[in-house]
Amino acid sequence: MKLEDYKLGGTNLKSSDFKQGKVLTTEWEPDLKYAWDNGVAIGRYLAELKEGRIIARACHQCRRIMLPPRMFCELCFRPTDEWLYVRDTGVVNTFSIAYVNWDASRRGPKEPPLLPAVIEIDGASPQMGIMHMLGGVDPAAIKIGMKVRAVWKDPAERTGAITDILYFEPAAGTRRATKPKAGAKRGTKGKAAAKATQTGRGKR
Amino acid sequence: MAITEKITSTTVPTFWEGGIPVRYVYTYGLSGERFFRAVKDKGTFLATHCEECDVTFLPPKVYCDRCFEQLDEYIDVGTTGSVESFTVSFKNMDGSDKTEPRILAMVRIDGTDGGIIHYLVGFDWDEIAIGMPVKAVFKTKAQRKGSIEDIVGFGPLR
Repeated sequence: MKLEDYKLGGTNLKSSDFKQGKVLTTEWEPDLKYAWDNGVAIGRYLAELKEGRIIARACHQCRRIMLPPRMFCELCFRPTDEWLYVRDTGVVNTFSIAYVNWDASRRGPKEPPLLPAVIEIDGASPQMGIMHMLGGVDPAAIKIGMKVRAVWKDPAERTGAITDILYFEPAAGTRRATKPKAGAKRGTKGKAAAKATQTGRGKR
Repeated sequence: MAITEKITSTTVPTFWEGGIPVRYVYTYGLSGERFFRAVKDKGTFLATHCEECDVTFLPPKVYCDRCFEQLDEYIDVGTTGSVESFTVSFKNMDGSDKTEPRILAMVRIDGTDGGIIHYLVGFDWDEIAIGMPVKAVFKTKAQRKGSIEDIVGFGPLR
């Protein structure tokens, strides 16, 4: 082969070249398994999800309530201070309507679109939230700022995973964070106080 | 300031297990395509030769990695060689015992400066020696697909 025969960018191959066997190939699927150490913060976060609660971590210096929880404040460069239960309600920060699956294959005509969204959880600091799915909602009706509520798996089926929450559905009302060991006498009122007491008595 | 909360019990730490689904289709490239076409269709090995450096590349290269000269003539170097290095494996990937040990070897192909890493077949594992002459054993032509697995291994030279 002469130099002038070379084309920049290598050899172009079309999908038909593969299908018709014009080019030889080797196919392989490596078995890539991992085990990721949850650490203190995510370990407890997942354990609390199993109990149907969402727990966050507070930094007393920057006064943020961080979700998902972390043991170190990335803004203050210091350990975080306190566990706090937050609500299982929130608002839609951003969302997407996906007509393709994770592997970019098209969803079937009878499959509803996937509705991934970032939910700012009530009780956590603004912009703090988790990525999850929306459900029980007309995709065209989703709005940024829409109030939503977690729909939990049946307690017996929970495994301590983010999927213990099935999805977030439209809801009304916002509530504050509560301390895990706080009693009923702390400053919350009405229905919120009742709920706070209930969720406030953690096992730990 | 120390981290205020520490895990002190060995039963508390948890982990998350998962898998990463990755699948690939590898194409052999210009020279690799020629090499595996020859394996598939003729049951032989092709090499490229650099006149300037007097180096014969197997697997073939499209350029000489010493002088960067383009190499576009492919020569049939046959399928015999000798054991350059070898290892005997008694364990499977998961650490369990193999029923039969497998012998892996780097086989220097005769007349080239290169070689192929493959299995040795038709030997007892304790009779292998470095420098031993071997010959490639191919699958039948109908079974060959144009891959390294078209070669069963390297067997005794008879």
